[in-house]
Amino acid sequence: MSRRAPRRGRQWARDLAVLLALGLYAVPYFWQVLTSIKPEAELLVLPPLLPSHMTWEHYQAVLRQSLIPRALGNSLGVACLTTVLALSLGVLAGYALARLPVPGKGLILLGIVAGSAFPQIATVSPLYLLMRGLGLRDTWTALVVANASFALPLVIWLLAGFIREIPEDLEQAAALDGASRAQVFRYVLLPLVAPGVASSALLTFLFSWNEFLFAYTFTATEASRTVPVALALFPGIFEVPWGDIAAASILASLPPILLVAGLQRYLIRGLLAGALRE
Amino acid sequence: MCLLAVAAGGCADHRGAPAPVTTLVFKHAHILGSGNPLPRLIAEFEARHPGVKVKGEALPWSTDEQRQFFVINLEGGNPGFDVMMLDVIWVPEFARAGWLLDLTSKVAPGELHAFFPSAVDAATFGGRVWAVPWNMNVGLLYYRADLLAKYGFAPPATYDELVAQAERIRAGEAGARLDGFLWQGKQYEGLMVNVLEGLWADGTALLGPDGAVFPDPARAADVLRFMRGLIERGVSPPWTTAADEELTRRAFGRGEAVFLRNWPYALDLLEAPDSPVRGKVGVAALPRHQDGTRGAGSTGGSHLAIYRGTQHPELALDLVRALTSEEAQRMMISGAALYPTRVALYHAPDLVRTHPALPAIAALTLAGRPRPVTPYYLTMSTLLQPELSAAVVGVKSPARAVADARRALGFALRDATAGQTR
Amino acid sequence: MTARERAARRVGVLYLAPALTALLVVTVYPGLWVLWLSFQQRVPIFGIDRFDGIANYAFLFSDPRFWSALRITLVFTLVSVALEVVLGVAVALGLWRQRFGRRLALGLLLLAWALPAVVTAKMFEWLYHPAAGLVNFVLGGHPFNWLGDPALALPGLIAADVWRTMPFVALLCYARLLGIPAEMYEAAEVDGAGRAAIFRLITLPMLRRILLIAALFRTLDSLRAFDLMFVLTRGGPAGTTETLTVYAYRSLFQTLQLGFGSAIGVVVFALVMLVAWAYLFAQRREEAAS
Repeated sequence: MSRRAPRRGRQWARDLAVLLALGLYAVPYFWQVLTSIKPEAELLVLPPLLPSHMTWEHYQAVLRQSLIPRALGNSLGVACLTTVLALSLGVLAGYALARLPVPGKGLILLGIVAGSAFPQIATVSPLYLLMRGLGLRDTWTALVVANASFALPLVIWLLAGFIREIPEDLEQAAALDGASRAQVFRYVLLPLVAPGVASSALLTFLFSWNEFLFAYTFTATEASRTVPVALALFPGIFEVPWGDIAAASILASLPPILLVAGLQRYLIRGLLAGALRE
Repeated sequence: MCLLAVAAGGCADHRGAPAPVTTLVFKHAHILGSGNPLPRLIAEFEARHPGVKVKGEALPWSTDEQRQFFVINLEGGNPGFDVMMLDVIWVPEFARAGWLLDLTSKVAPGELHAFFPSAVDAATFGGRVWAVPWNMNVGLLYYRADLLAKYGFAPPATYDELVAQAERIRAGEAGARLDGFLWQGKQYEGLMVNVLEGLWADGTALLGPDGAVFPDPARAADVLRFMRGLIERGVSPPWTTAADEELTRRAFGRGEAVFLRNWPYALDLLEAPDSPVRGKVGVAALPRHQDGTRGAGSTGGSHLAIYRGTQHPELALDLVRALTSEEAQRMMISGAALYPTRVALYHAPDLVRTHPALPAIAALTLAGRPRPVTPYYLTMSTLLQPELSAAVVGVKSPARAVADARRALGFALRDATAGQTR
Repeated sequence: MTARERAARRVGVLYLAPALTALLVVTVYPGLWVLWLSFQQRVPIFGIDRFDGIANYAFLFSDPRFWSALRITLVFTLVSVALEVVLGVAVALGLWRQRFGRRLALGLLLLAWALPAVVTAKMFEWLYHPAAGLVNFVLGGHPFNWLGDPALALPGLIAADVWRTMPFVALLCYARLLGIPAEMYEAAEVDGAGRAAIFRLITLPMLRRILLIAALFRTLDSLRAFDLMFVLTRGGPAGTTETLTVYAYRSLFQTLQLGFGSAIGVVVFALVMLVAWAYLFAQRREEAAS
C-alpha cells in the first residue's frame, strides 16, 4: 500500500504528528469541555487558559434548573422511535426494490433519491400547517413522522444496496427447502444484512438527534422539545451564561459521540456505502 | 401525545373532596434585579387560593425570541400556558389574532383609571380591553451629572449640544476611557426604538396620518445618517452596532461613558451600593434635533394578558389582579426595578424617599410617545430591523435603506389597512 | 408472467407501500403544497388567505434582500465546498499512510462531524467571543468582533461550517484511497516518478470521481443549510450572513407571511434541483463519451 516502507521510527513520528494535528482539529470541542468545568468568575478572562480548579456548578445548574434533562429524554425517545420506524419501513422497501419484480423500479428508485434532495426549508411551512391541522403540534409523533420520512430515502437506498450485494443462492436454497418468503427473509437474509441495518440505524439515529429545523418549528413546550432546540433557546439572564451553555452542549453531544466512537466501523460503512454506490 | 401536563386543570367542582391541584402557568421574561418579588407574590396568591398552584416559567432573554415563542405556540393552538407577560407592542397583534381573552366585561369601569392613560391605550384594541398594564417604561437620557457640572453644562436640549458636550468632555478627560453616547444599535427591537425616538426628535414619524410608511423619507434618511455618524465620528463606540440595553448599561455603570439612552430600570442598578457611578447619574428628557419639536422617549413596558382558551379564566384574572395590585407594584419597584403602571405610586412618599427620581420619571412618561399601536407593528418592525441595522452598520446608505424598507413594507402590508389603529 | 411472478410482484408492492406512502405524505405532498402556498398571500394570524398569482415571485425578483441572500448563499456554498474538498483530500492523504492509532485518528476527525449543528454553533459563538474567545487569544489578543463585524461574520460562519463537514469529505477520499491498488504506485516508482508527479497523475485522477460525488453532496447540503447560520448569527449582522434559508424562515415564522416565505423555499428547492440535474447531466455526458 505505501511505496517505500519508512523506518519504524519515522513512521511512528509521522503518525504521532498526524494524531496531534487531528487533536488540534478537535480543540474547539475540548475547549468547550474545559469551559464547562471552569468557574463562572474565570470564564470571561483570558489568559489564563486553564481553570484554577474544576467545578461542577455548570452541570449542576443545567441538570437541576434547566429544561435540558427533559429535552434529553425527548431527543432519546424521538430518535429511537424514528430509527425503528425508518428501519421498519426501509428494510421492507429495500428488500422489495432489491429482490422483487416491482413495476417501475428504476423510476421509483430515482424518485426516492430525488426525495433525499428536498430542502427542509421548503417543506416546513406545509408540514407546519399539516401538523397543526392534525393537532400534532408539540408531540413526539410529529417529529418522529417527519424525521423518519426524511431519513427514509437514504435508508432505502443503503439497504437496497446492501441486500443486492448478498448473493441470492442462500435464499434460493432455503426456499427450495420449503421456507416461505417471510421465513427466508427473517432467518436467512436479515442476519446477513445486519451490519447494513446497523449502519442505517446509526445514521438515522444521528440524523434525528441532530435535527433542528422541524423540532424548532413543531415543538412548543418541554413536553416535546428536543435538545438542539433547548440549547438554542437557552435562557440567559444578564449576559449569556457561557459556562452553562457549554455544559448543556457537552451533555447534548455525548450520545452522538459515544455512538460514533463505539460503532465507528458501522458509521464509516454507512457513509461510504451511501456515496460509493453510484 | 401529551400536552403540557401542567395545564391539565383538575376539576375544582368537587366540594368537600380533596380537590386535585389546579395549575396555572404563567409565562414571563426573566426578571432583572436581585430582589425578584415574583416568587413571593406567587406564594401569597397560592396561600389565598388553596388547591391552586402557579407555575412561573421564564422565557429566553431577547424579546424578539419571546414573541416568536408566543406566536408559534399560540398560532398552533393549545399553547399550554394561561397568563402571559406581553410586551406592550404585542397586544394589538395578539388581540387581532384572537389569542387573548376579552377583559372588557370583566374589569370594573373605573379599575383601569389608576394606570397611565397611554398604557391603557396600548392594552385596548377595537374598543375592547385585552390586557392589564403591569410595568411601565420610557426612554430616558442618562448623563454623568458630575462630569457635566465639572464643565459647566446643563443636560443637552438638542442632539448637536449632546455631541458637542460629549466631545468637549472626552477631550478634557483624555486618558480616561470615556465614550460619548451609548445607545442600542443591535439588530433587534431596541434598534427600532432608538430610531423611532430619533425620528420623533426630528419632527417626523414612522407612520404618516394616512398610514404611509416613512412619510418623509429624506428626513428619515437624515436621522439614520446622524446615528451612523455618531459611530463614525467616534462619539459612540464601534460595538454600538451589537449593543443592547444590558451591554450599554454595564459600560455606563463602569463609568465608561458620558451619556446613555436606556429605560428606567437602569437607574436602580446604576445607583446600587457597589456601583462606581453611584450618586453621579442624572436623568433627563431625550434631546431633540430641531427647534419646535419635542424630544420624546418611547413608552413601553409589559402587560399581563390571559390566553383566550384557558381552562380557568376567573382564576387567571385573579392572578393578573394580584400581580398588578398596588402592593405588588410596590414590591416590583423596590425589588426588581420594574416601574409601576399606577400613576399614584410615583408620588407615594415612601417610594419617593428611596427612589427620588420617580416624580421626574412620571412626568417623562406622560410626555413619552408610544410606538405605533397597530397589529402590524411587529411585521413592520421585523422587516425594518435589517434595513435599519444595515444603515447603522454602514453597509447600506441611509437613503437606500429607507427606500428598501418602504418597498418591503409596502409589499408585506399590501392587503392590510396600514395605519389601522383601533 | 407466471403466477409466481405475479405473487412476487404483489408482495413487492405490499412491502414498498408503507415507505412510499410515508414519503408521499410527508415529502411529496408538502412539496406540491408549498408550491401552491407560494402563489398565495397567507397570513394565518390575521386570517389573510387569498390567491395572489405570481405576486410573491414578482416581488422577489426585484427584492434587494432576496438577491443579497442568494449571493450570500452562493458564496457560502462555493467557498465552503472548495475548502472542504481541498482540506479533505489533504487529511485523507495524511490518514492513508497512518499505521498506528488509525482508529483514534478517525475518531478525532469524526468528532466534528458527529456533533449537532446547534452544538457547533454555540461552540463557535463562544470561540469567537471578542474578549474571552479562544480564536482572538490565539491570534494575539486583538479583539476581532467576529460575529458583529459585517466583514468578518461570513468568513467566520464558513470556517465553522468547513470545520464541521470536512471530515465527511476526508472520509470518502480516504476510503477511495484505500482501494487504489499498490501495483500502480510501484509501477510509477519503477518508472522514476517523483511524489508530486505521482500525486498529480495517479492519486488525483483516481480521486476525481469520489471528489465529484463529495462535492455534489456538500453542495446540496450547503444550499439547504440552516441550523448553523440561524443559531450562530441569525442572519446578522445587518444581513451579511442571511442565506436564502434564513430569509425564508424569518419570513415564515417571524413576519408570518406563509405565502411569501414559501416562495423563497421554492426558490431554494429549484436551486437544489438545478444543481442535482446539472450533475446528472454532466455524468451522463461523460458516460456517453467514454
